[in-house]
Amino acid sequence: MIKYTISVILLTLAACMVQQFLPAIGGLYGARVLILALVFLCAAVSVDFATMLLLAFICGFLWDAQNALGPPGGNPDIYTDPVEPLRFGYSIVLYAMMGLIMQGIQPLFKKGKWHISSLLAGISIFLYLFSEYLLINFWRGDFVFPQTVFYRIYLTSALTMLFSPLIFWLIFQLASSCHHTIRYEGLRKKPRYID
Amino acid sequence: MKPLNLIALLLFIVGTAWVLTRSESSVRSIQKTYYSAISPFLKGGSSIEQKASAFIAEVNHSKEWETRYNLAKEELDEKRVEVAHLRKLETENARLRQALKFQQRAAFKVLAAKIIRRQPSTWWHTVTIDRGEKQGVGVQLPVLSPEGLVGKVDAPSANTSTVILLTDESCQVSAKVDGTPEVGILSGQRGLTGENPSLKLRFLSKEAKIKPGMLVFTTGRGGLFPADILLGSIKSFEPGPLYGEALVTPAVDFTALHTVFVKIPDSKESSASPTKP
Repeated sequence: MIKYTISVILLTLAACMVQQFLPAIGGLYGARVLILALVFLCAAVSVDFATMLLLAFICGFLWDAQNALGPPGGNPDIYTDPVEPLRFGYSIVLYAMMGLIMQGIQPLFKKGKWHISSLLAGISIFLYLFSEYLLINFWRGDFVFPQTVFYRIYLTSALTMLFSPLIFWLIFQLASSCHHTIRYEGLRKKPRYID
Repeated sequence: MKPLNLIALLLFIVGTAWVLTRSESSVRSIQKTYYSAISPFLKGGSSIEQKASAFIAEVNHSKEWETRYNLAKEELDEKRVEVAHLRKLETENARLRQALKFQQRAAFKVLAAKIIRRQPSTWWHTVTIDRGEKQGVGVQLPVLSPEGLVGKVDAPSANTSTVILLTDESCQVSAKVDGTPEVGILSGQRGLTGENPSLKLRFLSKEAKIKPGMLVFTTGRGGLFPADILLGSIKSFEPGPLYGEALVTPAVDFTALHTVFVKIPDSKESSASPTKP
């Protein structure tokens, strides 16, 4: 179990590195593949609650370390209406919320219905981006929701979801190489006769 | 709930509260450490990306010439490939000359930097450049291009820096409309995407006589950007109940940016600033 947990953490760190080289696609309203979030979601459904929280902390912390903006600066007499940045660490909470959603369908995942987890990963990313955008609006004031934002959220979730089978495959490979059993009851044959 | 899960939850809450209550300087130092750790990957990745695109361009180029190759002599084809390579070098040379010319004619000291990563986050318009504190890049320094203002440095680390672009909502610039007494605050618009999204110039007087095509420059007020740097041109003007608002087309083509210039404070500026009352 500990070997598998460490492997999943390493996979998450690798995803963080890969994320650096996945650009926004201009033609798709700036949508992108959120590989870090996807690896977290796929891992979250396969680990226990405590490990999920640890992963949420790592992912949210790294995401904010990479993306958090500094204070606006400048003379406050001139810039009377500065745009405040979000607090460092808010992503940890959002990641934990996504992780909780995934943990909710863990019984189905363990029964072998990974495709439902795959679909839910897309929905979770949609909810994550949507709540992040709402948080920006709440923090900065002036509710603005152009149609392009919806397209960006929707396309990012859909694009990311497409890669979930690959990540699930990677996670199963990791589990088997670490001799860890993700209780995959879906492939277990049922007895044909009652003894 | 299992005891282990309860302990994990409590630890998570404590950890998250600790992170959320970090001061600005702690956050900066965390970000600096993070970027120092990943900067070799960023630079390496950027060079691989460049090599890959050069390779793809070379492959496409080779395909174009493939039909002619069957007809022409081998030597002639070699010469043509050579010419193609030289043309590529010529284009690069022209770009670098333009950059050098800008660096020479700039009234202030600037440092050339290459963009190594574009828009890494979902909602912010930022890029990463290959110059950092070791080369003299500091926080809030203006970033320029020969066409006009690009943005400002947000988070410098040892060898790389994050630049927040003019198209981002949080990059506010004190701006004036050329040929009018109008002064306002220019910034990007939330949630807008596209190649070069329009900027919004707010706090103009509602009776302002502003026409499309008028140029917008920095005022130099506010302590962030030098005066008279081109920002863009007026696209439209809308008088509101209290203030007028104008949409501005940025002067810089943000998609075509490769090299930018960070305005480095002169020795006079840097020595004078701490003595200010």
